[in-house]
Amino acid sequence: MTTFEIRSGVDLHDVQGNIIKGYGRYGFPVARYVTYRINAAVAGRTFIKLLVPMLTTSVPWSESGVVEEGTKQPPSTTNVALTYEGLRRLGVPERSLLSFPDEFVMGMRARASILGDVGASAPKNWDPVWQTEDGQQPVHLLVTINAESSDALAQRYEEVGLAARAANDVAGDSAGVQQLAGHRSAGGADAAFQDGAALRDEHGTPGPKEHFGYTDGISDPYYKDSGSRSSNVIGGGKRLRDSSPATDAGWAPLATGELLLGHTDEALEYPAAPVPSTLSKNGTYLVYRKLHQNVATFDRYAASEAAKLSMEENLFRAKLVGRWPNGAPLASFPTEAEANAFNAKLEQAKADRFDETATPTQRAAATERHLELKEQQSGFDYREDIAGESCPVGAHSRRANPRGSLEFGQDHAFSTPGALVNRRRIARRGLPYGDSSDRSVDNGDHGIIFMAIGASINRQFEFVQQQWMNFGNDFRLGNDQDALLASWPDEDIDPLRARMTFEVDPDGMEVPKICTGIPQFVETRGGDYFFVPSLTALSAIARGAVDPT
Amino acid sequence: MVGAGGGGRLPKSSKHYGLTALCPIKLGTAPGRNSSYEAVVRETLAGLDSHERSPMARVPNTYLARLYILKDVFYEGRSQQEHLKSQYLFFGSDFHGELEPYLRGMWENIEPEVRLIWQHCVAFGSSVNSAESFVDYIKKCQVSNTFLFNGSNDRPLAEQLKGLYLKQEFGDFVASHQGASDDELRSAFLSFAERVQVTKLDGPTWRPGAQTLESARTHS
Repeated sequence: MTTFEIRSGVDLHDVQGNIIKGYGRYGFPVARYVTYRINAAVAGRTFIKLLVPMLTTSVPWSESGVVEEGTKQPPSTTNVALTYEGLRRLGVPERSLLSFPDEFVMGMRARASILGDVGASAPKNWDPVWQTEDGQQPVHLLVTINAESSDALAQRYEEVGLAARAANDVAGDSAGVQQLAGHRSAGGADAAFQDGAALRDEHGTPGPKEHFGYTDGISDPYYKDSGSRSSNVIGGGKRLRDSSPATDAGWAPLATGELLLGHTDEALEYPAAPVPSTLSKNGTYLVYRKLHQNVATFDRYAASEAAKLSMEENLFRAKLVGRWPNGAPLASFPTEAEANAFNAKLEQAKADRFDETATPTQRAAATERHLELKEQQSGFDYREDIAGESCPVGAHSRRANPRGSLEFGQDHAFSTPGALVNRRRIARRGLPYGDSSDRSVDNGDHGIIFMAIGASINRQFEFVQQQWMNFGNDFRLGNDQDALLASWPDEDIDPLRARMTFEVDPDGMEVPKICTGIPQFVETRGGDYFFVPSLTALSAIARGAVDPT
Repeated sequence: MVGAGGGGRLPKSSKHYGLTALCPIKLGTAPGRNSSYEAVVRETLAGLDSHERSPMARVPNTYLARLYILKDVFYEGRSQQEHLKSQYLFFGSDFHGELEPYLRGMWENIEPEVRLIWQHCVAFGSSVNSAESFVDYIKKCQVSNTFLFNGSNDRPLAEQLKGLYLKQEFGDFVASHQGASDDELRSAFLSFAERVQVTKLDGPTWRPGAQTLESARTHS
């Protein structure tokens, strides 16, 4: 009699690496996003076949020390994603195509009204590469490259280009796979690709800042079996009721199916997914959005509105997003002095951790200290701040991840504090682009390539964007929009409509402060919805062997 | 349960009433038309205005009302197929207060539209010619329901609209008078209170049925 060993968890060799790993954090500060049109199925399939061996998977790298066996961290990473039109042109069978969700089939442009891509963000204002003449999605295939250096980036870009040319040779069609230019950059509107790069500090060291000056990407969701460090569950998992949010007992991993198709999700079922399961399992969706940042307007508004409200400008900036510019959460560090003291400790521990003159024992101790402090950046909720007196209820990071606060302090309103949040989490990837050192104008080349990953674009990204960013009712904020992402259909909007409240202790004598006339800080410049297939699925697509029958 | 008269109301102390009525539509061809009565009713419903221009927005205390045509039941397999004996005009309304005064208010405010909508329903033309007979007619068609529209509290509509209006106006007032001196604030607030008429429910207030802030405010 044969016994079968049932393995739990995820086959990380089958999952593309950008799904699990925020490459920026692994020392890949530069990225290139390359867009392709597929004119001939044979060329497209051959291109994918040649790309598969180059792709980075989610297997942990040995340095991370999480698993015994690991692969060595490469100098660059490569991943690939496909739009609906891309899948169609690659010859994926009709029955499989019809089983994809509506929003993916429609693409991001067609979802503009849901996403608030109106006015300056309207699709007609997007980069040329995202413009369409025939109504079909113009971009079919996206290759994302992250690298430790510009040289490594250039080399991998060259190799990807060679693969595309080789695929065209095989197909006997020099435009079978066609790289699409038309990304706006400092040099004009026709760049052959979109570059991204972590912003550098005054010493030239790449860091986690974005163009408005905030520390970005601190708290990413933590999923079961995702192979990342288990302590990331603090602040990254789902909030449990009876333990402190500062400890790992206060959180549980999110179900894998919130991130990956073919695994059970928070509803204890498989997320809706295209057929056959070979096509969908271990795959997921990626939302690519190029978001231009109006840095001059932002700086001007922060200075003038803070003065108007008699506030320190740094506090004003912190209230907008719920974190101090150095990343310390307002909910735990309500004053700038506390935030700075905390950040100094964090920076010191980080420096000690990577201090090459220190002994291994000293460095191990510093690593431990650094990780503990990082947990404090994420290990909090709003239970002590329901009214929003420290972190405003409408602060950007609180809207994006309410951390159980939608019970509004009423214990056991739901079965778990995160019942309304756990199915709306998105893994954020991506990097800033451009240079905002000239902060006197808005129209330079600077912004962020925002990427959201999750098992359902509609349930997760679109919901958060429509209900939590562009509307305020779930937070009892009426029709207030998120201050950072608010978009307006035209310029003569009533300034009282564009507002945000900084709440105070409801039992105290202080008066809440309300900022008004918030201008549009962020403009969408393009993007689309992509499917990120597993390695298995990519091979099947390349062979033309996707069989939904 | 048809005609059992069990309106939806949970819990019992609530002033929120959920009415469901199924009114049979006449069978056959509508006189002078090359179509069924059902098609004529459908056309009538499609021609009704919605939101703040809906006739139901003129019926006092309506939280949410729906009209649609129930053509048949779904076949769910296995057992013998079943069909409805008739096609029905579905009328559902969630409102504040008691059923009879609500229906009387409906007749008093939108009698022409009620006649237009229900004219091809069985026995309507021959039995309904007054508020009381309309109440009787709807009660005969009433079925029990247990689910209520959950987007409203159980206060009278006028109070809810005034509350929403005041919340919006007061928010605007606070936002636009930050930093004012005590004297300025007192005098501004007095003129604000004069303008919004806190205790006056019939105006200024929001418009029933409005779907956007702009359309709600045209009333105030």
